[in-house]
Amino acid sequence: MVARARAGDAEAWGNLYRVYAPAIFRFCRRALPTREDAEDATMEIFMKIRDKLDQYDTTRPFTAWLYRVAANHCWDILRRRKIRQDKETDDLETLPLAHPDPNQLDQLIEKRTSEEVRKALDKLGARARMALVLRYYSDMSYDEIADSLGVRRAFVGVVLLRARHELRQALEGTGAMAAGGAR
Amino acid sequence: MSSMSSPPSDRERAGQQHLDEMTCMLYLERQLERARALEVSAHTQICDACRTLLRAMERESRLLTRAMLEEEEPLPARIATFQERVQRSMQWVWMVAFGLAATAVYAMYTGYIEPLQQGLEQAGFGGTSLMSLLIFQGSFWKGWQSMLSLVEVLALVTLGGFLVMVARKRFRRGSALALILAAWCAAFAAPSPATATEFKKGPSIQVAKDETIKGDLYATGQEINVDGMVDGDLYVWGQEATIRGHVTGDVFVFVQTGRIEGQVDGSVRGFCNNITISGDIKRSLMTWAQVIHVDSRGSVGRTVTSFSQTLGIDGKVGGDLFVFNQTTRINGSVGGNIDEKGESLLIEDGAEVAGTIKFEGEKDPTVSKKAKLASEVQFTHRVKHREEFGKSSVVWAMLLAAAFVLFGLVLFLAMPSFSEEAVRAAESYGASMGLGVLVLFAVPIASLIAAVTFVGLFIGLSTFVLWLIALYAAQTVVGAVIGQWIMGVTTDLWGRIGRMAVGVLIIRVVTLVPHGGWLKLIVLLWGMGAISLALYRKYAPPKIPQAPYAPPSAPLTPAGGAAAV
Repeated sequence: MVARARAGDAEAWGNLYRVYAPAIFRFCRRALPTREDAEDATMEIFMKIRDKLDQYDTTRPFTAWLYRVAANHCWDILRRRKIRQDKETDDLETLPLAHPDPNQLDQLIEKRTSEEVRKALDKLGARARMALVLRYYSDMSYDEIADSLGVRRAFVGVVLLRARHELRQALEGTGAMAAGGAR
Repeated sequence: MSSMSSPPSDRERAGQQHLDEMTCMLYLERQLERARALEVSAHTQICDACRTLLRAMERESRLLTRAMLEEEEPLPARIATFQERVQRSMQWVWMVAFGLAATAVYAMYTGYIEPLQQGLEQAGFGGTSLMSLLIFQGSFWKGWQSMLSLVEVLALVTLGGFLVMVARKRFRRGSALALILAAWCAAFAAPSPATATEFKKGPSIQVAKDETIKGDLYATGQEINVDGMVDGDLYVWGQEATIRGHVTGDVFVFVQTGRIEGQVDGSVRGFCNNITISGDIKRSLMTWAQVIHVDSRGSVGRTVTSFSQTLGIDGKVGGDLFVFNQTTRINGSVGGNIDEKGESLLIEDGAEVAGTIKFEGEKDPTVSKKAKLASEVQFTHRVKHREEFGKSSVVWAMLLAAAFVLFGLVLFLAMPSFSEEAVRAAESYGASMGLGVLVLFAVPIASLIAAVTFVGLFIGLSTFVLWLIALYAAQTVVGAVIGQWIMGVTTDLWGRIGRMAVGVLIIRVVTLVPHGGWLKLIVLLWGMGAISLALYRKYAPPKIPQAPYAPPSAPLTPAGGAAAV
């Protein structure tokens, strides 16, 4: 299908779009602040995909490339808006990570629904949310996440862990879970 | 990645340190080296706390993945149909059109606008922009002082629009528009801090001779008599109005018969069947009427601008006379120049004109020998061409087209989401045109009815203003659709604006041809209907959206990273 689309087959391109548009829309929906942003971004991503289709390396999985393009596009949008260009990059090495109480964390996760998690995701900073989306929606490797977010590979784990902490705080409404409970 | 160490004091158990959270996460995500992973695995066999943490984090990962993969909302219709529209896109046409448009703009500027600017500068008008032209023309309407206020308001509106545009992504759909409308309403509704506004309504309205109204007065009725004083502006809407008293501000008259017998310190503007000036207008007079008469007792301090069938000047005009009439008769004094375009000009015995007289008409002017004229009448014989297509008309057509494009540009920038909705609505031709007929004719009538009834004055005027804006916006909406047909769909805002500009130019050119008025009417109906439809869709009660087709049930193998293609 991709090969035919690359060759200019309109029908193949249409099929490609029909198959992947829902997933890319969902990706954008998770990564960007509003539904309108996600709609715009989805269409823009497919315009890019169509223009760049001949650059796609057919030896690699198509979906990985697709998500890569989508991730870069969404991250560009967020960066342009300077949303929460927070201190993560500078403080990554020195920032102490608090340890949660395992039982409390277990209870927190036990009680939460998917919808609550999605709402909590909306409250996260751009980088944290994007990191979680890249990892847990797109299943990107740490190398790919580092490349997309423009951080060193060694910091990807920290970014993800910090994102999880932010998420827990958003889920709880307080910072109790990440408040350094002793074990 | 090395694991982060934890404070040892309360974290020691059986001589072995607990696992920290980072290590647990990296273990779960298979990012640890094999040896370290085995250590972690062995530790969790004997440590309940770490096992609990590991299990909780694993569940957290699963919860995250599940939450992200769930399809809680259907694919928006515009995304589902986007691909079909994209297929029609022809980027090369866009490039060519852009090049041609740039060339045309350059040619228009060097060929017409630049010489026009030079001409204006030579004539003493320092302003060189379209805005200055608008302001210059606007000064006829309300005077220079008011125009300065207007400029301030325009600046504020522009600033507001810019801020809304910058912040629009933070609003949910429709909120930005609602905010703008609310701001407009607030701006219109907010009473002036310095003066109060009074409303009078009834079959017969009287401001008695000894009565003084502080602030503006809005009067609507069959017969309106102002014998007293209005210390502000006077707005009159009715059948017959006579002003014998004193108005310190401006007078706006919308009546069948109007008489100004008293004193107006400001200007008089109006739409009337006939209006007679027997009193004293300190500033300007500008009217659209069948008959305008400044009688022998009447005087206008400054300019008279007239759009009428018959204009008679028996009194005194301090400034210039700009006349677009069928017949003009002058038997009084004019302190400035006379510039008339019409059918006939009659200058009688009692006429005194201090400035030049330019008359462009179909008949030779009739000038009495007893008239005191500073110079002879400069007459240009005008031959009526039904389908005149000269250089001048082309220039104006291009200027108008540019103005429409500019208007569309502002709309698209200020309301990108709504303009897109309107363009999409315009693609439903039948519904748009049907609704367009209703809106184009019914709304002005409804707003008129609302305005003449006292309670609905503000609503009536606001509706009418919105209707006028929509009337202008109609061509830009239809232009955007036409541009889209030719150059394909784009999601880029400037791409959409470019398509709108191309479409508007096409409409302007097409409507120049003979009987193009019918095409213009169709465009207006279509565009007005589309805007109304978009408004309806935006504010209609929400319906459960339905996806136009069933999306694939399984997502793009997010856990595996690749799907068979």
